[in-house]
Amino acid sequence: MMSSATLTRTETITTAKARGPRRSHVPGQKPFGPLRVVAFIVLALMAIGWLLPFLWAVATAFKTETDAASGDPGWIGASGPTIEAFTAILSQGNVYTWALNSLLTSVAITLITLTISALAAYAFSRLDFTGRKWLFVVIIASIVVPPQVLIIPLFYEMLAFNLVDTYWGLILPQVVAPAMVFILKRFFDAIPIELEDAARVDGAGRLRIFWSIVLPLSRPILASVAIFVFIGAWNNFLWPFLVINDTTLMTLPVGLQTVISAYGVQYAQVMAQAVLAALPLIVIFIIFQKQIVKGVATSGFGGQ
Amino acid sequence: MTPPLDLSRRQFLAAASLAAGTALLAGCAPGAVPGSATQTLQFWHLLSGGDGVTMSSMLDKVNSAQSAFRIRPTVLAWGTPYYTKLAMAGAGGRAPDVAIMHATRTVGWAPGGLLDPWDLDRLAELGVDDSTFPTPIWEKGFVGENMYSVALDAHPFVLMFNTDVCDAAGVLDSDGRLQETNSPEEFLDQLRTVSGTASGHALSYGYLGDGAQMWRLFYGLYAQHGLAIELPVGGTAVIDKDAAVESLTFMQTLLDGEIAAAQNDYGSAIAEFATGKSGMLMTGVWELRTMQAAELPFDATMIPTLYGTPAVYADSHSFVLPHQTNADPARRDLTYRFVADMLKGSFDWAEAGHIPAYLPVTESPEYADLIPQAHYAEAAQHVVYDPTAWFTGSGSNFQGEFGAAVQGVLLSGDDPAAAIDRFEERVNTLLRQPNPADPEGTFGS
Amino acid sequence: MTAATDSTRTIVTGSKAIPRDRRPGSRNREQLVSWAFLAPFLIAFALFLVWPIIHGIILSFTDQSLTGAGGAFVGFANYAEALSDPKMWQSMGNTVWFTLLSTVPLVLIALVMAALVDRGLPGQWLWRLSFFMPYLLASTVISQIWVWIFNPQVGAANNILKALGLEPIAWLQNPDTNMLSIVIATVWWTVGFNFLLYLAAMQNIPPQQYEAASLDGAGPWRQFWSITLPQLGPATVLILILQILASLKLFDQAYQMLGGVASDTTRSIVQYIYEAGFVSYRFGYSAAISYVFFALIVIIGVAQALIMRGKKEQQL
Repeated sequence: MMSSATLTRTETITTAKARGPRRSHVPGQKPFGPLRVVAFIVLALMAIGWLLPFLWAVATAFKTETDAASGDPGWIGASGPTIEAFTAILSQGNVYTWALNSLLTSVAITLITLTISALAAYAFSRLDFTGRKWLFVVIIASIVVPPQVLIIPLFYEMLAFNLVDTYWGLILPQVVAPAMVFILKRFFDAIPIELEDAARVDGAGRLRIFWSIVLPLSRPILASVAIFVFIGAWNNFLWPFLVINDTTLMTLPVGLQTVISAYGVQYAQVMAQAVLAALPLIVIFIIFQKQIVKGVATSGFGGQ
Repeated sequence: MTPPLDLSRRQFLAAASLAAGTALLAGCAPGAVPGSATQTLQFWHLLSGGDGVTMSSMLDKVNSAQSAFRIRPTVLAWGTPYYTKLAMAGAGGRAPDVAIMHATRTVGWAPGGLLDPWDLDRLAELGVDDSTFPTPIWEKGFVGENMYSVALDAHPFVLMFNTDVCDAAGVLDSDGRLQETNSPEEFLDQLRTVSGTASGHALSYGYLGDGAQMWRLFYGLYAQHGLAIELPVGGTAVIDKDAAVESLTFMQTLLDGEIAAAQNDYGSAIAEFATGKSGMLMTGVWELRTMQAAELPFDATMIPTLYGTPAVYADSHSFVLPHQTNADPARRDLTYRFVADMLKGSFDWAEAGHIPAYLPVTESPEYADLIPQAHYAEAAQHVVYDPTAWFTGSGSNFQGEFGAAVQGVLLSGDDPAAAIDRFEERVNTLLRQPNPADPEGTFGS
Repeated sequence: MTAATDSTRTIVTGSKAIPRDRRPGSRNREQLVSWAFLAPFLIAFALFLVWPIIHGIILSFTDQSLTGAGGAFVGFANYAEALSDPKMWQSMGNTVWFTLLSTVPLVLIALVMAALVDRGLPGQWLWRLSFFMPYLLASTVISQIWVWIFNPQVGAANNILKALGLEPIAWLQNPDTNMLSIVIATVWWTVGFNFLLYLAAMQNIPPQQYEAASLDGAGPWRQFWSITLPQLGPATVLILILQILASLKLFDQAYQMLGGVASDTTRSIVQYIYEAGFVSYRFGYSAAISYVFFALIVIIGVAQALIMRGKKEQQL
């Protein structure tokens, strides 16, 4: 009984899922019709074009410095492929520190944002309290505020709290995500209230219900939120750039941009650094491709 | 809806191990090295390229010569971003122990409390005082009563020339030095002669998108008229329009595509000269190493005095003490030692092309043997800095404003007089503003 | 049965009806519990969003300096200066110009990509990777790759020009082309996002419509124009709005590709805010410019909300 009722409800909750690729629109049309071949060629050319910049970077990263500076357009340098740019970068030690900083702060931001946003979203979804409507409107309205407008007062505030050049100064301003509260609340609203009512009748407290019933049912949305918050935190440039001046505390993007080699522009090394910096996100994309694509397509994640 | 667990097991495991690994690593987050016998001093500078190599080796020497302190250098990109980062570090109270600044920038910073003054007595104990510096350079270190910067060098804007190309053109004299030219016309003739033998242009000069480069050449030419731009606080800029227009027009003439490429950026100009394609290069002395590394047959001299008064545009790399909320006296003391050591060892810095500010080095016999440095050493006598104001100096708004106002003249043949007027207007706007580091003028100077 | 229908109805209409807890004293308890759940978020919200907004407004009425000096009340002087500052208008103009230049290709190219991928051609994962992967890269990575590509002496862009027999261009150094270079890099970087939105919208169109059309003899082109395009209206509106709002906040790549020193043609309004505050140390003035910019964003955001509501009413 429970299961069939659940099925009915879950079907109703279905959001528009991105369906897989369609077959040709016209049934019976030849799969290799001329228009399709043309379309395929155009598509392939565009894809190659879009991959090229990154491939150029990778090719340059595997050249010797002299080859990279020579302007020779070949894919492989005259001296042959080499990993000296990578070893030079990695032996400097900076990249490890920056990557670690990025990892620590991004994970912290993700966990904290997820926690506080889910708790707040649950309150807005299930609990009644004075000022609920107004507070929600205020929070939704704040989505419009561009973070760039706040850099001055935020920096001033970090100065006042002595948090400039600290991990917390980097993390704290980034945990406020009203858009995520909105998205999570919308998701919680769609979970049938009966599931919780039964537990409430049994005397379970709100927190217990939240933890044991609501959260497990919310894994997909929590995963999406986590992934996008993580990516946003990892790639964030402006705030980390402003609040961190100590080069041992910089995140990867800021470190790459700010600290240059004492030897001036070394093209192969710069490209090697860029490739190394891109790798974590590429790995994340490969692992979490489905969630990311679905998150963007259905909830407009990442639009900020 | 699909079953509640949307993450595949693989993804969940990947995420979980990531989180667990992070938690482990968090335990070993980078922290301060516990106080050991050797103090590590943080040193920020903005020297890269040939300079960066030299600076690195000088620092290595200082580090290995003693064990009381160890310098940890950080190199940040030259220009505005460097000064911004340094200011913010100072404002946050966590600045490096010592840093390099251009001497011309200190007047804008000191009033804001971003710098701590040097203790002259302590410096004198270490052999650094006014007798060991050329007077204009020593005096440039002062803002008001206090000294805020100790100069390492003067680095002028000079003329390098390819000895092979110029010899073939017949413009060298019997000593192998460039024949003297005393007027714009003479210099242009000389250049045209050289363009006959050069495979590229006669002159390389990079300026595109680079206000600093445009300003360096312009102000040197302007100062050769025996004039200086004055920027009185609360007043309006004093600019001799005729001299300014004449200087700018001369620059425009150079960039005709025959004498010099019509639009070269900094890197392209260096490359053109370094690969032997052009006869001459207008550049700062800091590119000396680049040319030596390229094994180019070249020499250097002051930019010819075309308008009567010898004048050389220059700035100085100087040591400053960024403000620290709680300066540790022991570390400060070590910082003084570091600066004194660097000054005494600045012969190496001369090898990078700069003119050391420390007289015991420049007056030594070894220095007289340094070629081509000895050939432009007299530039130190004719050094001209940026006009003094809070907004001027290397890598400042001021030089960027100049570039924005006059690039059209050099690139597209705009009217020089109108460009100078535009520049004057922008300067006056800046003059009207109080020093933002000290908007209410609370700094006693 | 009734219970099931009730809950189904609840879900479909998305009603926010909260079940009342009838136990005595429960109202107070629920208040407490609510605030307990909300507290962490609200504290962060107040500290790092609300207070900065208020404090920023206060700062904009002073001459506060980054260095800690200043802070005196100056009334509306900062705003008056901002509105008459030619550099402020120039930065605003650059930003609007950037938005125009980049939005058109970002929409059209994404549309073409989605239309092609929607065909169902083999290699789906490859197309998605190629077009969308750049979007996940950090702005620093993008900037460094494109600075390299646009390097006047040794970059790939000029190599291509030279191979075609054309004159090399000083992409980022020449003020005539530097904004265009930033646009090119931005399009490469962010088109993947719009591509996914369009693709999702296209895949939501019921295949029956296409089958019916093909039975009537309509070829693929005709189907695209008559069936696909018209139904992309809402997606296009969404993409345009998101795109415009994102473009107006331009900073990262414009700053980084020019190495931190903006040219008069690339300085965006956010970069000017940054320069006024952190390069010129004028926190008060920078705050004033921020709020002028904020006002613009709010106006556009409100317009967006009105448009979206208008569309929704149309659909209902």
